[in-house]
Amino acid sequence: MSKQYCERNFKVSRRGFLKGCTLAATALGLSESMVPKLVEAAASPTRPPVVWLHFQECTGCTESLLRASHPDIGRLILDIISLDYHETVMAAAGHQAEKSLHDTITKHDGKFICVVEGAIPTKDGGIYCKIADRTAMEILADVGPRAAAVIAIGTCASYGGIQAADPNPTGAVGVQDLLKGTPIINVPGCPPNPVSFLGTVLHYFTFKKLPRTDQLGRPLFAYGRKIHDHCERRPHFDEGRFAEQFGDEGHRQGYCLYKVGCKGPGTFSNCPAIRFNDVGVWPVSVGHGCVGCTEPGFWDTMGPFYGRLPNVTVPGAGGGIVADAGSAGKKILGVTAAAVGIHAAVGVGRKLVQGKKNDEQN
Amino acid sequence: MQYERKYTWSILLRLYHWALALSVLALSVTGFYIHFPWTNTMLEGGSTFPVATMRYIHFIAAFVFTGAVLARLYLLIFGNRQERLWDFLPITPRNIKNFVATLGIYSYLRDSHEERLGHNALAGSAYGLTFLAAAVQVLTGFYMLYPESATWQQIGLFFGPQQTARFIHYLLTWYFMVFALIHIYLCVWNDVMARDGLISSIFNGYKFRQSKS
Ligand code: SF4
Ligand code: SF4
Repeated sequence: MSKQYCERNFKVSRRGFLKGCTLAATALGLSESMVPKLVEAAASPTRPPVVWLHFQECTGCTESLLRASHPDIGRLILDIISLDYHETVMAAAGHQAEKSLHDTITKHDGKFICVVEGAIPTKDGGIYCKIADRTAMEILADVGPRAAAVIAIGTCASYGGIQAADPNPTGAVGVQDLLKGTPIINVPGCPPNPVSFLGTVLHYFTFKKLPRTDQLGRPLFAYGRKIHDHCERRPHFDEGRFAEQFGDEGHRQGYCLYKVGCKGPGTFSNCPAIRFNDVGVWPVSVGHGCVGCTEPGFWDTMGPFYGRLPNVTVPGAGGGIVADAGSAGKKILGVTAAAVGIHAAVGVGRKLVQGKKNDEQN
Repeated sequence: MQYERKYTWSILLRLYHWALALSVLALSVTGFYIHFPWTNTMLEGGSTFPVATMRYIHFIAAFVFTGAVLARLYLLIFGNRQERLWDFLPITPRNIKNFVATLGIYSYLRDSHEERLGHNALAGSAYGLTFLAAAVQVLTGFYMLYPESATWQQIGLFFGPQQTARFIHYLLTWYFMVFALIHIYLCVWNDVMARDGLISSIFNGYKFRQSKS
């Protein structure tokens, strides 16, 4: 079956096809014996068509699918999912493109899969993102409820991403904030690992349901564990061996990047296990800390990227001062200590003045 | 002048207090170490395990802290007269009056105040606030300790993702240290001023009051 499929599609070699399915099976935590099932589902002519919507985004998620990883996997994804509408890669344009969107959702009403890339701006009636004269909000409200399931790819579609970073000028939100009633799964990341997306899709095709998720709607097979708990530098963390700054002795020795701002302890993703680009690397393996791109609001809460914790805004003259949380804490403690000192001094002073009199009354 | 000895704090309250005090001390020290591990063991091949050990102590102390908070919760409702929350939170006219009066005394504007066996309403309010801070500290802490538990994730997401919870947890640590500083100072101050044996009462449970006669 898969052989036939491969002969029909010269774009993917049989080897690449099997490799992709095996990788997805591994990512999903399935046994080897399940691989033929995945292969069958991926090559089945009855697999659901996919409509891919682009909203407020940089197309980085599509780009990473297309080329950042092993080329076979990129092509495999696009072939497997029988892509009927995808603004970046489709040949059609203009009215033709809109027609194909309309045709697909009419013909496969309730059966197609909708992939959303990018956040949806909601401020001022959603005018900050328009395609074919319709706002992103309108398109999602039209297409979303008619899909069998929605896959939000990337942190933008999942939680708003960089557009939603404070002060969120366009009121950007993720799909789950607008769409109710349709099963939604989030595959966040900036961009997400293609394998996590592939695994989600293959799981749906094979088992006819979305994989189990955590409370943030992310598939557990890919986002069930912290980066920190699978990191190859973790022994250095436990042993207290840290890079104090980039390029120092510790950094050259491959020590833990915690003190130069690694957010692995607060980030859920399979990056250390799946890695990127088919060459077995991921950010931490090449010496840069995780910036926590799979978490909601990471542009706000994970910054500064090279410090451990966010800054605090200390209200004051001129609209607030931003301080390191630790230094703010020290200042407050200092002020408190000074207040205590003054209070005690006043007490002693009063005693000196009123002295014995008071004592006798007691 | 005659003083009489009055039983004020139950054994459970005193145990709670010292469990809380010692665990806060241990949690602050190890917490700051985890936040910024200041020793950098450049020694490879040895196993000194400093961060793992500090985290271990932190987690044990966290359970002691949680136990203490739960004990206090029980006492807030079922404790003796001085230990119940309506005795010291400014929610009754009597306590609101006491709150204002205590402010006056602490700022040296008044000399005498209503004699109370338990907490004054100002201290009581601070303890109430600290109790809430402790609850947040416990919830964010367990959220970080059990990152793979769906239940803890559900509860923890109230505060935001792990990193936000970590931030709140860190800021509240400073709150506890500021609280400890003021608390110790004011206890000494009261012990000097009021002579009711405030400090020894948290060891033996007895306070002194001037007899009416
Ligand atoms: S490099 Fe980051 S993820 Fe790895 S052990 Fe250190 S803190 Fe954790
Ligand atoms: S290591 Fe962290 S920042 Fe990098 S891709 Fe993975 S989750 Fe995102």
